[in-house]
Amino acid sequence: MKKKLFKLLGMLVLASVLMSACGAGAAPATQAPAEKAKVVIFVGFGTGTDPDQVTAQDALARKFNDSHDNIEMEFLIVPTEEATERYLAMVAGGNAPQLVGPHGTSTIAKFKEQWEDVTSYIEKDSYDMSDFYGPATTINKYPDLDAGLPLGLYPSFIFYNKDAFDAAGVDYPTHDYADTSWNIEALREKAMQLTLDANDNTPNDAEFDPATIKQWGYADTWTDMRGQMTMFGAPTEGRPTSDDYKTAQVNSPEWIFGAQWLHDGIFKDHFIPDAAGQSAIDADTGDPFGGGHVAMWYSHTWYMSEGLNELPFKYDIAPLFYNQDGERISRIHADLFTMPKTARNKDAAWEVMKWLVAPEQIVDVCKIYGCLPARQSSQGAYLTYMKERYPGIDYDVIFTAIDYLDSPHHESWVPDWGRVNDALNNTQSTIYTDPNADVKALMNIANEDVQKIIDEYAGGK
Amino acid sequence: MTLFKPQKISLARREELAGYAFIIPWIIGFIIFTIGPMLSSLYFSFTDYNIIDPPRWVGLANYARVFSGIPEFIQTGDPRQLGDPLFWKSLQVTLYFACLALPLNLIFSFLLAVLLNQKVPGVNIWRTIFFLPSIIAGVAVTLLWVRILNPRMGILNPFLQNVLGIQNPPGWLQDPNWAVPALVIMSLWGVGGSMIIYLAGLQGIPTDLYDAAKVDGANAWHRFWNVTFPMMTPVLFYNLVLGMISTFQYFTEVYVATQGTGNPQRATLFYNLYLYQNAFRYFDMGYASTMAWILFIIALLLTALIFRSSGAWVYYEGQLRGR
Repeated sequence: MKKKLFKLLGMLVLASVLMSACGAGAAPATQAPAEKAKVVIFVGFGTGTDPDQVTAQDALARKFNDSHDNIEMEFLIVPTEEATERYLAMVAGGNAPQLVGPHGTSTIAKFKEQWEDVTSYIEKDSYDMSDFYGPATTINKYPDLDAGLPLGLYPSFIFYNKDAFDAAGVDYPTHDYADTSWNIEALREKAMQLTLDANDNTPNDAEFDPATIKQWGYADTWTDMRGQMTMFGAPTEGRPTSDDYKTAQVNSPEWIFGAQWLHDGIFKDHFIPDAAGQSAIDADTGDPFGGGHVAMWYSHTWYMSEGLNELPFKYDIAPLFYNQDGERISRIHADLFTMPKTARNKDAAWEVMKWLVAPEQIVDVCKIYGCLPARQSSQGAYLTYMKERYPGIDYDVIFTAIDYLDSPHHESWVPDWGRVNDALNNTQSTIYTDPNADVKALMNIANEDVQKIIDEYAGGK
Repeated sequence: MTLFKPQKISLARREELAGYAFIIPWIIGFIIFTIGPMLSSLYFSFTDYNIIDPPRWVGLANYARVFSGIPEFIQTGDPRQLGDPLFWKSLQVTLYFACLALPLNLIFSFLLAVLLNQKVPGVNIWRTIFFLPSIIAGVAVTLLWVRILNPRMGILNPFLQNVLGIQNPPGWLQDPNWAVPALVIMSLWGVGGSMIIYLAGLQGIPTDLYDAAKVDGANAWHRFWNVTFPMMTPVLFYNLVLGMISTFQYFTEVYVATQGTGNPQRATLFYNLYLYQNAFRYFDMGYASTMAWILFIIALLLTALIFRSSGAWVYYEGQLRGR
C-alpha cells in the first residue's frame, strides 16, 4: 500500500516538474485555426492603464472589430507594476500577446532579442514610411531590428509656473530656440531666484534654510541617470558605451560635468530637490509641478495629459536650455506597438498595427496616450485638438523640440541593459543623497562597474 | 461463484487509509505547487535561462559566479574583486537587518505580551489595539511609514527635535546609514502576530507554579525569570525560528519603500530584492534560482543550528535533562 502511494506521489512530483518546466520553451508560432484571428494587445509597460484610457481603448477595439470580419482585436490592460511579470509569464507559457504597447525605447531595449523585426512586413506591403517624422522611424531601429511602425513622439521641454516667475520678479524663459542666452547658467540663475524656503528666502539670501525648502527652481528628477546626462552632449550622448558597446564611457568629461552640475544644484545651490525633497513631494501631491513644488519642470508631452488639469496657477512651456558647450540636446521618447517573435497570428497583428497608426486613426489613438502623432500629415488635426484642450500654450516649442533629440537615445539598448542602468542609477542615488560625494570618483567607479558588466556580457558570463 | 473475495481490512489499516485520504489533497497541492517548482528551480540554477529562450545547461557556472573572487577579496579587502559583489552586499544587508530586527522583535513582542497579560481594566481592548497593526497589509503599512519617516514632512523628526531635543535627526530612508534601522523600526509595527503567540503561551503557564514560587518567597522579578521565562522558551524558540526565516524572506516593505531599487546607495539591497532584480529586471532566471537555493541552504543551516542549540536553553515541561 505504502509503496503504491509513494509511486503515485513520485509520479505527481514528476508531472509537477514537467508542468513547471514546460513553460521554459517558447511555443512554436502557429496560426490558430479560429475563424477570426485574435489579436491581443498587451497594455501596461507604458501609458494606457488609467480608467479614461481603458474606456477609450475599448471603444477603439469596438471600432476595429465592427469593421473587420477576419480579425478580433482585444486590449489586455495590466497594471504597470505587474506588467513585466505578467508579460514574461505569458511568453514563457507559450501564450505571448500578439502586440505589446504602446511602449517606448526602454522596454524595447530591455526585451530587444524577442521582438519581431517588421522590416519584411514593411517590404512585403511596400509600406509608405515617408509621412512619419524622421526620428520616429529611427529611435527604435537597430541594425538587426525594426521594432514596429511609429505611433507617437513625446518631445521634451520645460513647463514653467508663470505665477512663481511673476512673484519672484523673474523674466520668463525664452521660447525662441535661436536665443543662445538661454543656457545652463541662465537656468541656474533663474532657478535659484525661484527657490524658496519656508520664510520665502532664496539660496541667494544669507538666511536661506535648505531644510525648509517649499519650492525648488528646477527639476527633472523623475528620469534616470542616462536621461539626466544625455543633455550634456557626450559623444555618445545618452548611451554609456562606445559605438561597438565594448568600452564604457560613463566618465566622459561631459557626463562628469553633468553629474557635478546636478550635485551642485542639489547641495550647493539648492535649486534641485535632493532625495528627501523628492520623497516629500511624492508623499504630498506626487506631482512636482502641478503641486506647486517646482517652478520649472523638465518633462515630456505626456505630462500634459497627466498634469495640466485645472492647475491653480498660470503656466506655459519653454525650450530646454543650451548646455555647457552651447549645444541643445532635448530628450525625446517614441512609442509604438511591437510584435513578440513567439506570438501567434502575426499577420493579423501586422494588420492591426497598420490600422492603429493609419492616418484615419492615429490622432484618436494618440489622444488616448498623450503622444504627438508620428505622422507629419496629422500635425494639424492634433494641434487643433490640443489647442482646444490646453489653450494658451506655445505649441511651436513642442514641435521644434523634435529637431534637438538625443541620439544615441538615453534608453537605447546596451549589453545587459538592466544591470548597466542599475549601476548608473546607483550613482545617481549617491548624487541625490550624499552632500559630500566626490562626483568624479563616483563616475570613475560607475565606469568600472559598467565596463565589468559589458565585459561579462561579451564573455557570456 | 465469487470472483473476488473481499479482503478484511484491519482497523489500524482503515485508520491509516482514512488518514491518507484526509491529507492527500494537501499532499497533492504541496507536490504540484511547492516541490515541483522547487525541483524546477534547482534545475534552472544550473542553466542560463532568460525566460524567453529555452534554458541552456551551464553546470556550476552560476554557483561559481557567486563564490569566485573570494581569495582575491581576502587578500585585497576590495569587494569589487568578488565575482558578484552585489550578492555579498545583499547578504550583508539582510544579515544586518536580521541582527537588529530579529532580537528586537522577539523582545518587544514578548514584553508587550507580558504587559498585556496583566489584570488591568480594558485589557482586551489594549490587546486588540496592539494586535491590529499586524493584520494591515505590508504595502499600506510601508506607505504610512514612508510618510512618518520623511525627514522633511514626516512626524517623527519634528518629535525627535522638539520633544527629545535631537538637533540633527536622521534622514531615515534617504540616508544610507539609517535606511536599514528605519526598516527595523517599521518591522516593530507588526509584532502583534508574535505577541498573540506569546500571550497564548503565557496564559498556559500553570498558576500553581507562581503560587509555589510566592510561597518560596520569590519576588516579581524572580517569578518572571525563574517561572515565566523558562516556561516560555518553547514559544520563544518557535518565534525565533519563524522570525529568522521571515527576516531572510524580507521583501515587500523594501520593494515598496524604494520602488524596487534598494537605494539609497544600495543600502537596502536585501537578498530577496536582489534575487527579484535578477529574475525580473535582468531576466537572469538561472542565477536567481541559484540565489534562491543558496538562501534555502543558509536558512536550513541556521534553523538546524537553532534546533541544535535548543537543548541548552529550551525547557519543555516534563522533559528530563540529558534524555
